[in-house]
Amino acid sequence: MNNRPAYALAARGLPAIIAVAAGTGCGEVLPTASSNDLIQGGVAVEVTLPFTDFGTRARVYGGFGRASELPGGFIAHDFGTGPDGRDVGEQGLEAATLLRFGRYPGFVSVTDTAGTNRPDSSLTFLSGRILARFDTLSSVLTGPVEVIAHAITEPWDGISATWEFAVDTVGLRVSWSLPGGGVVEEIGSSIWDPEEGDTLAITVDSARIASWADTADLSRGVRLTTRVAGVRLQLRSALLWLKTLPSINPDTTIQVLADTEATTFIYDPIPRPPENSLRVGGAPAWRTVLDIDPPRVLHGPPELCEALGCPVEINPEQISYAGLRFTTFAESPAFAPSDTLTIDMRTVLVPDILPKSPLGPPTTGFAGVVLAPEWFSPPAGHVVEVPVTGLVRDLLRGETSDGDPVSNSVALLSRFEPLSIEYASFSDVRSVGAPRLRLILNFSSGSGGGG
Amino acid sequence: MKRTLIILALVAMAAPGRASGQSFLGFRGLGVPVGVADGRSVALGNLGIGLRQVGLSASDPAAAAHILLPSVFVSMQPMWGDFQLEEQSGTTRTTRFPLIAIGYPVLAVNGTVTLSLAGFLEQRWVGHTTRMVNLGGIEVPVDDRFTTDGGTSVARLGWAQRLGARFSVGAAVGTYVGRLDREFGRTLDSLVVGSDVRSYEEASSWHYGGYTFSAGFGADPHELIHLSGALEWSGNLKESPGEDTGGAENRYDIPMRLLWGATGRLSERLHLNTSFAYQDWSGAGGFQAGVVSGKTLSYGAGLEWQMVRRTTRGFPVRLGYRRVVPPFRYLAADPVETAWSLGFGVNLVEVDGVRYGWMDVAIERAERSSSPLSENFWRATVSLGITRF
Repeated sequence: MNNRPAYALAARGLPAIIAVAAGTGCGEVLPTASSNDLIQGGVAVEVTLPFTDFGTRARVYGGFGRASELPGGFIAHDFGTGPDGRDVGEQGLEAATLLRFGRYPGFVSVTDTAGTNRPDSSLTFLSGRILARFDTLSSVLTGPVEVIAHAITEPWDGISATWEFAVDTVGLRVSWSLPGGGVVEEIGSSIWDPEEGDTLAITVDSARIASWADTADLSRGVRLTTRVAGVRLQLRSALLWLKTLPSINPDTTIQVLADTEATTFIYDPIPRPPENSLRVGGAPAWRTVLDIDPPRVLHGPPELCEALGCPVEINPEQISYAGLRFTTFAESPAFAPSDTLTIDMRTVLVPDILPKSPLGPPTTGFAGVVLAPEWFSPPAGHVVEVPVTGLVRDLLRGETSDGDPVSNSVALLSRFEPLSIEYASFSDVRSVGAPRLRLILNFSSGSGGGG
Repeated sequence: MKRTLIILALVAMAAPGRASGQSFLGFRGLGVPVGVADGRSVALGNLGIGLRQVGLSASDPAAAAHILLPSVFVSMQPMWGDFQLEEQSGTTRTTRFPLIAIGYPVLAVNGTVTLSLAGFLEQRWVGHTTRMVNLGGIEVPVDDRFTTDGGTSVARLGWAQRLGARFSVGAAVGTYVGRLDREFGRTLDSLVVGSDVRSYEEASSWHYGGYTFSAGFGADPHELIHLSGALEWSGNLKESPGEDTGGAENRYDIPMRLLWGATGRLSERLHLNTSFAYQDWSGAGGFQAGVVSGKTLSYGAGLEWQMVRRTTRGFPVRLGYRRVVPPFRYLAADPVETAWSLGFGVNLVEVDGVRYGWMDVAIERAERSSSPLSENFWRATVSLGITRF
C-alpha cells in the first residue's frame, strides 16, 4: 500500500467536488409549466356584507381643528340655498376671510445715485395693496365677483374668531358688536374675474397703512367679503404689499411685503350634527366612527357554499381584499364639496375616550381615498370604497401582525384636518345606502395536484 | 482533514430527500424516484445491486460486508434537463447531494455497521395557470401558481456479515424522513380589481415518516461470478401535516421491492454486470385512482473496463444502460425512464479489489416519458469515497 494514508490521497478530490458543487448548485431552476392538470386552482369569491352583519355602531363627532389652521380662507354670500339646504335654510352660507398684517419691514436695500446698494431704514409708506389669490377650481361662481375689503375696528383673535365671537377661547369669549366681524370700515373693492387670473388687488390708502403700523392694536385687520349672492370663493393666500419711498433715493418707489400675522375665516351658519347621515371633513372637522366586527364564519354566497360547503370558516390570510363601502349623500349644498376631498380611515386606539382618542396609522396608504365633488350633488348615491384589508385581517386574527392589540373602532376622517369648509356626507347605518363590507376571499382547497 | 469530512457529511445530511430528480412525473403521487446515486452504479446502468467489488450501498445490505476499514462516501448530482408537456417546453437545473453512506467494520465478528441516508422520492415542480374568476359579476383574470418542493429520504442502519470469503448477508432497518413544502399563490389582475387587492398565498408543509426493512446477500460462487439479491419491505409511508398545516395524516402503501444483480468477469479487465428490480405498485393503497404505474420490472446492464491498472491504483472506464419504471404516472400512461451512461473511476488506493480512496464520475443522458409529458436530462454524478478516516 502507498505510504501515504488513503484519506490523504482521496482528500485531493475534495476541493474538486466542492468546487463543482458550488459552481453548479447556484442556479437552480424548478420545472415550471402552465397546466390545468398541475394546478386546479382555488376558489375566489366576493362577498358583500350588510352593516348589520359586521357593524355594531356608528356616530359622528365634530370640532376637530379650527378654521384658522387652513392656509387660506373662504368668502361667501347667500351660498347654497335650495331645497336640499338642511343646515343653511333660506339665508345661505355667509363667509368672510379675516386678515391681520404684522410688522412692516424696518429697512430696505436701495441703490443710491452712485449706483451702490445701501440699507435704508428711513422709509415712508405711501400706500398698500392687498393681493388676494383664489383657488379657481374650488371657488364656486358664475362670473366676475366683486370682493370688498373692510377694516376691522374691534379687537379680535386670529386663531379663535368665529362669526359670532371676536374671541372664543377657553375662559374668554368676546362677541362681535355685529356678527360677522363687528363694525367695519370699507377700504376698497375690486372685481375678480377668474378668466383673467387668480389674483385681485385692493388698494389701501396711506392713512390706513399708517394706522396698521401699530402692532399693539389688536383691532387692526381686514375683512374680505362679497355682496354677490350665490358664490363661495376659496382664498389661497392674501398679502399686503407696501409702496414705500426710501430716503436715499427719493425718486424711486419700492414695494415691500408686510408680514401676515393671521389668516382665518368666519362663517354662518355652523353646521348642526347630522341626524341621518355620516359626515367627514369641514372646518372644524367632522369624523365618523364605526364599530366593526367582521364575521368569522360565512353562510354564503351560493358559489362559496357550492365549492366548499357552508358554513365556511375564514382566516385572515384568506382575505385578499376588504373594503368598506359608503354611499354618498347629498346634504347641504352650502358645504358640499366643490373640489376633490381626500379621506382616510384610521383605527381608534382608545375608544373609551372618544372623541379625543388617539388614532392609529392610515389604512388607506399614502394617497388616501379621493372623492370627486360631483358624487355629492343630488341625487348622489355614488359608492365610495375605503380599503381596510389589513384592519379586517387584524380583527379576525385578534391582534395586529406585530402582536399588538387591535381596536374594532375605526374613524373615517379627512386626510388632513381641517381640509376645507366643505364636508362629505354618506348614508347612515339605518338607510338603504348603509355602509357595507366587501370582501374578496380566496381558498386554495383543491389547488395543486400533489398527493 | 477529519473536520473537513465531518463538515462535508453534515452538509450532505442537511438536505435529506433533496435529490436531482425534479420532475412533473408523479405530481399526483409522491413524485419521482431518486434512484441509484453512486457514481459507479450510475455509470454502469446498475440499479444498486450486484456489483463486484467491496463497497457501500444504500440498496445492497450485504455490500459492505467485506469492508476492512471505516469508510464514508458521498455523492453529488448536478442535473440539466428540459421537458415537453403538450405544447409547452421548459428547462430545469439543480444540484443535490442525494446519498451519504458510512461503513464501520467490526473485525472481531467479521461484520460491518452501515449507516446511510439516501434520497427516495422527490417532488419539486411549479405549476401555474391563468384563468378567469367571477367576482361580484366581473370577470377577473387571476394568475395561480403552485409550488411543491421536497421529498422523501430513507435513513438506514444496517449490518453486513461476512460468512467466509465468498458469501455475505446483510440487513438494514430504515426510517423515512423528509418534508414537503407546498405553496399556492394567487394574484388577481390589479387592472381589474385595483392595486389594493393583495395576492393570496397559502403555504403548507408535510413531514414524512414510516419504517422500512431490507435484507440481502452477496455471493461469489465462482471467481468469475458475483451474485447479489435483496428484498425491501416497507410499512406505510406516512405524510403528516406540519404544525401550521391543517388536514389529516395520509398513509401510502410502499410495495415490496425485489432486487437482484450479477457481475461476470469477461476478461481480466472487463466486467459485465446486470441488475433487475421488481416492484408492483398496482395494488398500493392511499393513492388516487389511476396514479400508480402498472409496470413492475426495471433493469440495467453495464460494462466496466480497467483501462489503467497499477499495483495500488486503477482507472476503470464504464458504460451502462438502464430502463426503470417510475411508480407514478403523469396522467394515464405508464412512465418509463431510460438512460445511457458513461463514466470513469479514479481508485486512488486499491488493493486486492478493495478500494480505500476513490472518486467515481458518471454522466447520463436520460429520457422519461408518460404521455403527454416527456423529459430529457443530462445528469452528472460525482461520488467520493474515503477510507480510514
